[in-house]
Amino acid sequence: MEKVLLKNLGKPDSHRIENYIANGGYRALEAALKLKPDNIVQMVKDSGLRGRGGAGFSTGLKWSFIPKDPTIPKYLCCNADEGEPGTFKDRGIIDNDPHLLVEGMAIASYAIGAANSYIYIRGEFAFGADRLEAAIKEATEKGYLGNNIQGSGFSHNMYVHKGFGAYICGEETALLESIEGYRGQPRKKPPFPALSGLYAKPTVINNVETLACIPAIIEKGPKWFSSMGPEKSPGPKIYCVSGHVKKPGLYELPMGTTVRDLIFNHCGGMLKNRELKAVIPGGVSAPMLTTRDLDTPLDFDSLAAKGSMLGSGAVIVMDESTCMVKMALIINRFFSHESCGKCTPCRDGTPWLTNILKRIEGGQGRQGDVELLESLCTNIFGRTFCPLGDGAVMALRGALKNFRDEFQYHIDHKKCMAS
Amino acid sequence: MHGVIIMATVKINGKEITVQDNTLILDAARDAGFEIPTFCYQADLMGIGSCRMCLVEIEGQKKLQPSCITPVLHGMSINTETPTVISARASMLEFLLANHALDCPVCDKGGECELQDMVYKYGPHKGRHAEKKFKFQEKDYALSPVIIKNSNRCVQCQKCVRVCAEVVGANVLGALGRGDHQEETSFFRHFLDCDQDGNCIEVCPVGCFMRLPYRYRTRPWDLKGADTVCPYCGTGCRMVIEHRDGVLIRSKAQLGVGLNSETLCARGRFGCDFASSTERLKTPLIRRGGSLEPASWEEALGYIKEHIPVNIGNKMGGIASPRLTNEELYLFQKLLRDIFGSPNLDSTARWEPEATEGFIKATGMDEGGVSVFDCMESDSVLVIGSHLSDENPVTDYIVRRIKNTRRMSLIIASPREMKLDSSATIKLRHSPGREAAVLDAIALAVNAGKPSPAEGAALKDAKIEDLIASAGVTKGAVEQIAQRLLAANSIAIIAGMEFLRHPEGIPELGLLKEALKSSGKKVLVMPALDRANQRGAWEMGVHPAFGPGYGPVKDKGLGCAGMLEAANRGDLDMMYIAGADVAAMHPDEEFTRKALLKLKLLVVQDIFLSETAKLAHVVLPGSSFAEKEGTFTNQEGRAQIIRKLLPPPGKAKRDLDVIRAVGEVYDPSFGPKMPVLVLDEIRNAAGMYAHVSLAFNNKRNTENKLDNRHALVQGSATSALSVTRFSAATTEPEGRFHLTTGNHLFHSGRFSRRSGTLLGLLSAAVVEISEKDAASLNLKSGDKVKVKGRHYEAILSLKTKKGSKEGVAFIAENYDDVPVNRFFKKGEPAPRVDITKVTY
Ligand SMILES: Cc1cc2nc3c(=O)[nH]c(=O)nc-3n(C[C@H](O)[C@H](O)[C@H](O)COP(=O)(O)O)c2cc1C
Ligand code: SF4
Ligand code: SF4
Ligand code: SF4
Ligand code: SF4
Ligand code: FES
Repeated sequence: MEKVLLKNLGKPDSHRIENYIANGGYRALEAALKLKPDNIVQMVKDSGLRGRGGAGFSTGLKWSFIPKDPTIPKYLCCNADEGEPGTFKDRGIIDNDPHLLVEGMAIASYAIGAANSYIYIRGEFAFGADRLEAAIKEATEKGYLGNNIQGSGFSHNMYVHKGFGAYICGEETALLESIEGYRGQPRKKPPFPALSGLYAKPTVINNVETLACIPAIIEKGPKWFSSMGPEKSPGPKIYCVSGHVKKPGLYELPMGTTVRDLIFNHCGGMLKNRELKAVIPGGVSAPMLTTRDLDTPLDFDSLAAKGSMLGSGAVIVMDESTCMVKMALIINRFFSHESCGKCTPCRDGTPWLTNILKRIEGGQGRQGDVELLESLCTNIFGRTFCPLGDGAVMALRGALKNFRDEFQYHIDHKKCMAS
Repeated sequence: MHGVIIMATVKINGKEITVQDNTLILDAARDAGFEIPTFCYQADLMGIGSCRMCLVEIEGQKKLQPSCITPVLHGMSINTETPTVISARASMLEFLLANHALDCPVCDKGGECELQDMVYKYGPHKGRHAEKKFKFQEKDYALSPVIIKNSNRCVQCQKCVRVCAEVVGANVLGALGRGDHQEETSFFRHFLDCDQDGNCIEVCPVGCFMRLPYRYRTRPWDLKGADTVCPYCGTGCRMVIEHRDGVLIRSKAQLGVGLNSETLCARGRFGCDFASSTERLKTPLIRRGGSLEPASWEEALGYIKEHIPVNIGNKMGGIASPRLTNEELYLFQKLLRDIFGSPNLDSTARWEPEATEGFIKATGMDEGGVSVFDCMESDSVLVIGSHLSDENPVTDYIVRRIKNTRRMSLIIASPREMKLDSSATIKLRHSPGREAAVLDAIALAVNAGKPSPAEGAALKDAKIEDLIASAGVTKGAVEQIAQRLLAANSIAIIAGMEFLRHPEGIPELGLLKEALKSSGKKVLVMPALDRANQRGAWEMGVHPAFGPGYGPVKDKGLGCAGMLEAANRGDLDMMYIAGADVAAMHPDEEFTRKALLKLKLLVVQDIFLSETAKLAHVVLPGSSFAEKEGTFTNQEGRAQIIRKLLPPPGKAKRDLDVIRAVGEVYDPSFGPKMPVLVLDEIRNAAGMYAHVSLAFNNKRNTENKLDNRHALVQGSATSALSVTRFSAATTEPEGRFHLTTGNHLFHSGRFSRRSGTLLGLLSAAVVEISEKDAASLNLKSGDKVKVKGRHYEAILSLKTKKGSKEGVAFIAENYDDVPVNRFFKKGEPAPRVDITKVTY
């Protein structure tokens, strides 16, 4: 398969604009500027592109919600917070091919009529932030950003905004709060960002990978894009594989590649040829799959049908030696630590879960703990303000559903069954 | 909004109800009679939907939805009492209790805590949390002299943060940390230099924010309370005052009650302890051989009878404080006019009677009450001549809160920076005392340079350029204001005490009002007054030029200044001063004392031995607002009842009884005896009060119907007021700063100086100048400076304000140690002062 998202990875100085242009870069932007903005929105709609940030919402549809009134300022925000554990795809693009993102954002901004855009990048990505700043400078010098881009009459400025280490700031409305200088906590919706987003102006928030798909859609056409992978979630997808496989890393493959194909074909199989125990298919909030589910295609709808989700495309592979109680604890501790504190069930519920898991894992489990965990999950799920709290429950429920006996063993025997 | 109102019909628990589209499910459910518990919801704060107590089931939706931020949609079917909803509520409470300190037995809030009530009502009644709790801190920590905090009890509703930002506008609270370590507090728990109004304490549903010195002094069930009205400014906040063992220990406001709902300012919330001050007068005093000696009532009244002949007429004068009740003030003027036959009456030592009369007329007080909520429904609101944020803090809250939820413009014209500026659409910094020029310039700009017929002669020769120069403003700013006013269909003007300090602005206020009206606008004017019952005092006829209900009087008498002059000349022999500290408040202290000392008889009725009382021949101990019944009329013209909490201390009497006792010395039938009977007489004498209703909902409620319109007074049918033109005041030529005065945020007149708690907030006097001036003088906030005028100089500490007009210095009139009236001299131009740094 011809790569479009990771095509420049590994090439020398792939981050420099000369090399990007030499490889065909910025042609999509030049072509786009000759189209009407509405046509671009339609092309993205036709391509079937769904957001790669986790929720899988149609990107073209999201753009089409932006009011057309030219007197209202509009914003594009690129979500480069990449906080979901196991995810490192956006960073791959930013570090190695920053112009791909800049070009995608310039096209998107033109399509929605945004004169300014922000890249909200997690604070730890200092290297990537520098690369982006440099790329923006290069692009501005070459006339791909700034005033009157390529004589089209369209002007656009792009800014890099660094986060301060909160997972919640990847949630789109918390991200907006953070850019505005407030504490990163989600806003209530409605109003949705498309009507009242950054500084209460119409705003599109898209993930890095989503925006990186745009130049290819313009150049190769929506048909090319939609013909790849399943009809309802087409296109190329970057899978971030980590855990007990021989060759972890980033894999750009057609959407809908199966778990088996990814692990045993592309990643070279299990590390030390141990037995596979479980796979988290889409970042730590996604409930885990087991050996029974190896033929599940990794796309939005197939995973949803299995009660899990594609999320950010972070595939975490665990072999037979993995303690599921410890795994559940680590994941849950992440969520309780990252809970923003706004709503009651997540703020006070997730640390409670963590404390119980800590006890079970440490050999201090009590009879009834598993039932208590389940009951607390019921009390949290579907009642939180944003999806973070739900994510914590989905992950834990996945572990409890598939490995309940391991939890009970820990409680009964004060030690682990797996290791 | 003038659009069509769209209605939506929804089913709540099977009951059909039609409400306005966009109504919150919570409100619709309450309308339908179903109570939904809440923590983070509060009618007058922006919804955040975070506590999840109010989750309800909407048919067809998988997840429960927060009813406090979800509007109804036509056809929705909502269930608020299903097993899932009920268990969700219980589970939220279980979560809240998980990390909660559970120290109810030592918590101030125990007994009036929303968390306790909620758990009692909605469960769970058994705890499952058996993990180690997270503790924010071991010990309560003080956030200010009046606020102390214990974060371990927090339910994270953010009300404290939101009330401080959205209503008070101080915006000094926020949250530290995240997740279960989130703590609502000040910036890194630093000591707060804020408005100290304690609204954060009031809105806190649990015992996180507590008040000092109240903490640990009592349990709520040991308190006895009375519904009353704040005795300080003209806003007229409703409050509950409470005592334990005869000591007034707390004043608080209640959600949904009064125009202020839960809010008060520092004076109202912390300043009522003056009533239980040990310095209260407890017995009558008579001057014997140079000093004031305790006496019995018989002796005191006998002394008065001996010295004041009936029908003494012109030789007598009376001044009664605008902090007395309507009933007392009415009886006082009746005593002076009917018993003593004297027309010399006033309710203030601070302003000329012609100024007050003109101000009443220009602001249309004689046309009846004007609700602040109606004002805030206008397209444009102009605040002028008022330092609203300091003088009427809760009015400032109401304006800010409503402004932030509506499309409207707020225009503020003032020399000093004020907190409300941050909500203003346009702010105009003009030279002090130049309200007249500002108003004329606006009036001309509104009419594109030509005076309207209404302004006629007054503005015939006025040139906008001259006016702008005199006001110290730019033409652009004035034109911007004019544009806003022209674009508005309805306009409200809030006009404050500066008009009385500089009365040449009064006629112009009336002119602008007429000009706007004649161009087809709906115009409302609301006075902003700094004394609780100033409006009542006028409406009861405690004024030399008019009687009750602004009706005409046979003979016009002298006002305070006139009486003092007459006393000084020897034309006035006796004065009866009730509650007013003339010696402290009248401009030019030296002259005032001299004049008062010339009186043959000075009777002072007060609750403290004031500066004036110290000069008296007879001192009669009266009662504070906490010890009597009656009514106050606030600045809007709302008559509100005050109620008795405690008996007057010692031999002191209710003021009504004192005034009546003096009257009965001459006419045994002088009365009536009871406040309600006096009110009946007032209803007859002043038609404005004929239909006023004193009924109100005095119980905490969530309906938030704050605009109790039945309490507004009607227009007067007999009003015979006129507006006097004052020539523009001159200012001394020397000195860098123009000296201005007014009330400090924590004080009101001199009388708040008897509140130990308020004194604790700010004891030393402060002079305020702009940051720019300070920088050019090499001074900074907190420096000790010398303020030197022609007649007086004082050492004060400096406070700088960013946006204030340059060349203006402000000293609050509330400090005994810096009697600002000593800078002023009768008949001389307004003082200018120099400010220099003091180094020791
Ligand atoms: C707790 C939480 C964290 C999130 N973190 C990220 C993130 O790090 N990066 C991201 O692109 N989207 C993240 N999202 C999803 C965003 O809210 C949003 O849906 C996405 O940026 C939209 O872009 P897309 O339409 O291109 O997918 C997160 C969502 C939640 C609820
Ligand atoms: S679920 Fe609630 S507490 Fe958790 S991150 Fe979202 S808003 Fe914050
Ligand atoms: S006292 Fe008032 S200003 Fe101070 S923190 Fe509380 S609410 Fe804010
Ligand atoms: S301190 Fe009180 S008001 Fe503030 S968030 Fe906590 S419970 Fe709510
Ligand atoms: S002083 Fe005025 S604003 Fe403050 S509480 Fe009293 S009436 Fe309200
Ligand atoms: S009251 Fe509705 S979420 Fe708090």
